[in-house]
Amino acid sequence: MNPTVDSLRRAFGTTIGRAFVSCGQTVVYVDATELRTVLRWLKESPDEHYEYLVDLTAVEYRDAERPLEVVYQLRSLWRGAELRVKMELLNDEPLEVDSVVPIWRAADWLEREVYDMFGITFREHPDLRRLLMWETYKEGYPLRKDFPLRGRFSRAEQVRQALAANPEAHYSLEELSAAQLQDDLPGDMRERLERGERGLIAEPGESDDG
Amino acid sequence: MELTPSPGAVPPAAGRPDRTIVGQVSPNWVTTRLDFLVNWARSNSMWPMPFGTACCAIEFMATAASRFDISRFGMERLGYTPRQADVLLCAGRLPFKLAPVIRRIYEQMPQPKWVISMGACASSGGIFDTYAMVQGIDTVVPVDVYVPGCPPRPEGLLYGILLLHKKVRGETIADPALRRERVFKQGDLQIPARLIDELSEPFGNSIHQTRSA
Repeated sequence: MNPTVDSLRRAFGTTIGRAFVSCGQTVVYVDATELRTVLRWLKESPDEHYEYLVDLTAVEYRDAERPLEVVYQLRSLWRGAELRVKMELLNDEPLEVDSVVPIWRAADWLEREVYDMFGITFREHPDLRRLLMWETYKEGYPLRKDFPLRGRFSRAEQVRQALAANPEAHYSLEELSAAQLQDDLPGDMRERLERGERGLIAEPGESDDG
Repeated sequence: MELTPSPGAVPPAAGRPDRTIVGQVSPNWVTTRLDFLVNWARSNSMWPMPFGTACCAIEFMATAASRFDISRFGMERLGYTPRQADVLLCAGRLPFKLAPVIRRIYEQMPQPKWVISMGACASSGGIFDTYAMVQGIDTVVPVDVYVPGCPPRPEGLLYGILLLHKKVRGETIADPALRRERVFKQGDLQIPARLIDELSEPFGNSIHQTRSA
């Protein structure tokens, strides 16, 4: 068992749920309310120093009773330690989590992928759009257990919708000039661009610069 | 100056100049000799536009490299620009997200143009009978030659290329419909919707899959 779990229990008490070792990897469950505080502490506390977010993903189990889980795989390059933090999304609550982009910038596209595949919304994410599927994709969230393998629409309808999509509209704003953008982008993206919301992510952790 | 149409000639459509003068010629000694010459030139200098999306592209690279060497068939010039290409060679599976891309590349190619669908996934979706994959690129662009295999060996692709040569040698300028450019509107299907659904009926391990059409 990773000694970090004991430090977490000392610092946060009942917010920390059960913990166990699976295939040599320590897994610890954290309550949704304190998630961002706990993760920030794990990164910035000098004794822990998990500065590297290896992966951020989600799990839905075949057992319908079990809630969806968001998984944070952390690594401390400094100490050579690994920790897997999990958070349960209860069945009767909306699928919403606090974004960890302010803590690790690497979480940006990882959270977009989780949103794309599972439909989990990340609060305060700077640019929560679909990542793998195209932006006008209407069939839902492909990695959910209730999603049929072949998709919801008929093949002909899928081909039609795919062909109706504009291939240039999927690129990020940086890759296109402003003149190209105006007509091609969906309305909400154009609004965000006009408000200048991109690129204004707060720099993570001013304190550990040195 | 107004030209008086000869009796029996098909009048051009209203508001559009008649460019199908060749099509009104019936096959004769001149056109067949010309066909032979044109088709000989075309089939021996096809410039491929490789659209490699998966492992078939590796086999295509092997075909293009020295051991198999498609330059023996006048194809050594791989044009990565569609405006200077004759053959669109789709090597690999095509996800729905790439469907408008390959459509646009096909539209940018000048006539005459041909399409080779290389491998099981490009031809039928292959093992990827999923929400993300086009079940055969012929639902998006017209295809001339299908090369089966997963992936096809270079010999297989060469055989497909030779089949395309054979097809080109059979073309004639007396056929006005052959090189007519079909203009797709955005979202236009290449084959009827009913046919797409028939082509992609459940098969393999997805036979128990429910589908709400």
